[in-house]
Amino acid sequence: MNLTINGVETPIESGPLTSLLDVLREELGITSPKAGCEQGGCGACTVLVDGEPRRSCLTPAASVDGAAITTVEGLGTPENLSPVQQAFTHHYAAQCGFCTSGMMMASQAYIDGGGTDDREAIQHALGGHVCRCTGYVKIIDAVAAVVRGESFDPNVTAAGTAMTNLGGMA
Amino acid sequence: MAVKTGRGFAAIEYPTGMNQNGDPSQAWIKVKPDGRIDVFAGTSDIGNGSKTIQSQIVAETIGVPYEWITYDNSNTDSSPVCTGTFASRATFVAGKAVEKAAENVRQKILEIAGKELEIDPADLEIIDGEVIAKGAPQKKISVPDVAAAATWGYGELLTGTGAQLKPYATIVEPETGKVDLPPHSAISYASCAAEVDVDEETGVVTVKRLWQCYDVGKSINPTLVEGQIEGGAVQGLGLGILENCYPYYPSVEHRGGQFGAYLVPGMEDLPQIDTLIIENPSADGPFGAKGIGEMANNAQPPAIATAVFDAVGVWVTELPITPEKVLRALQKKAAGADAPKRDGKTVIFDAELSVNAVGTGIAFGTAA
Repeated sequence: MNLTINGVETPIESGPLTSLLDVLREELGITSPKAGCEQGGCGACTVLVDGEPRRSCLTPAASVDGAAITTVEGLGTPENLSPVQQAFTHHYAAQCGFCTSGMMMASQAYIDGGGTDDREAIQHALGGHVCRCTGYVKIIDAVAAVVRGESFDPNVTAAGTAMTNLGGMA
Repeated sequence: MAVKTGRGFAAIEYPTGMNQNGDPSQAWIKVKPDGRIDVFAGTSDIGNGSKTIQSQIVAETIGVPYEWITYDNSNTDSSPVCTGTFASRATFVAGKAVEKAAENVRQKILEIAGKELEIDPADLEIIDGEVIAKGAPQKKISVPDVAAAATWGYGELLTGTGAQLKPYATIVEPETGKVDLPPHSAISYASCAAEVDVDEETGVVTVKRLWQCYDVGKSINPTLVEGQIEGGAVQGLGLGILENCYPYYPSVEHRGGQFGAYLVPGMEDLPQIDTLIIENPSADGPFGAKGIGEMANNAQPPAIATAVFDAVGVWVTELPITPEKVLRALQKKAAGADAPKRDGKTVIFDAELSVNAVGTGIAFGTAA
């Protein structure tokens, strides 16, 4: 089998029924997709298969032979974050971070598919992704901001703008 | 049969950190020869933002830009002891430890700067990375220059330690439990108002809106505080209407066998959340801060229960408020039964008594 992973054609040695998640994490060491419930319920393992968000934990490798796979590693680099990554950082859309990879891949697919900044539409598009920390509010804020084309100074996050907040306190 | 709307609210208080027992946090800070600050502390950042917040505290206390701070909690050998990120203590207790350490470092910087400028350290202050003579701002030296002078000129290390440990208290009156010290624990206060829809036919409760008001003492980083409050709101919503390991506890026959059997709120369950942060400073926390962690999911379940009563006139006294419990309560009410009471336990809220006690003519539980 062959997969084009984040633009790089990669031969796959795992068996055909190995889950795409295991191929990525165990064979190739690409660890942004998370093994959460491994039952298709939490969304943490989501990657893009030919641009469509898919649960990699429920996807046999053979069923996507030859496909183009995109993970968070293919979105941006630490020095050059993608718009979705910038927005998630800026809006403090990640706390523990376990759901974040899946959230960002689903967000990317929603945005690439012409999604709007309507909050209900975003909630529907990301409805299959569970987050225990954030209460979802800031994730929706981040996706809406990307749709609106807002740009962020990576050195000034939404949290960072509060850095001077302590002035004047005893 | 119809969908009824109701509103209710609940108020809570929550202590920060462990009380009258040992949960120490320690911090060690050193200044590199170029003025950058290394903070060694053991507090794990589990997504609550404690690395950010403690770095802010150090930057603010010393008087240098946030970007100069490196916070190292990478291992328990190099970092001093912190008992952990629990009991809402990461800012209140551990943050105080780094504040104390930072204050000691500030004094060391002022001492060396005083020698360099030939000015009494008491007449110096540090603002945005520069040590400046009070009242004579042209006399100044940058913190990097002070650090270089300490390293290469005076043979000293600019360093400081700090620790925070609540004082131990001894019980002096065994009958009452009275202790010899006042409680050393910041009490945070919060309230939550909920608006719900209750479908009388299906028993389904939909939380439409949560108004959340939290006293955090000092919001050191408002965005992170909001994150805690919003996250807590949705956890509280889950505790209120969804989350249950053992629906018929203590029977384990109906426990969830897989991920989907334990219902947590999804993105489409999200109500409109309005957050208000109150700053009522504590005496003991860094910059007056209190904890905003565990308390954030306490007020929603009772607020939702009250809103359900407001909507359909039944008290569901066990969480979560599932459709089954709502329907059973409605059935009992239709049959003329008393409000639900569990064996050996008293239902704390008495609607009649409450209305009498309020005595203002505002009947609790009337439709919004």
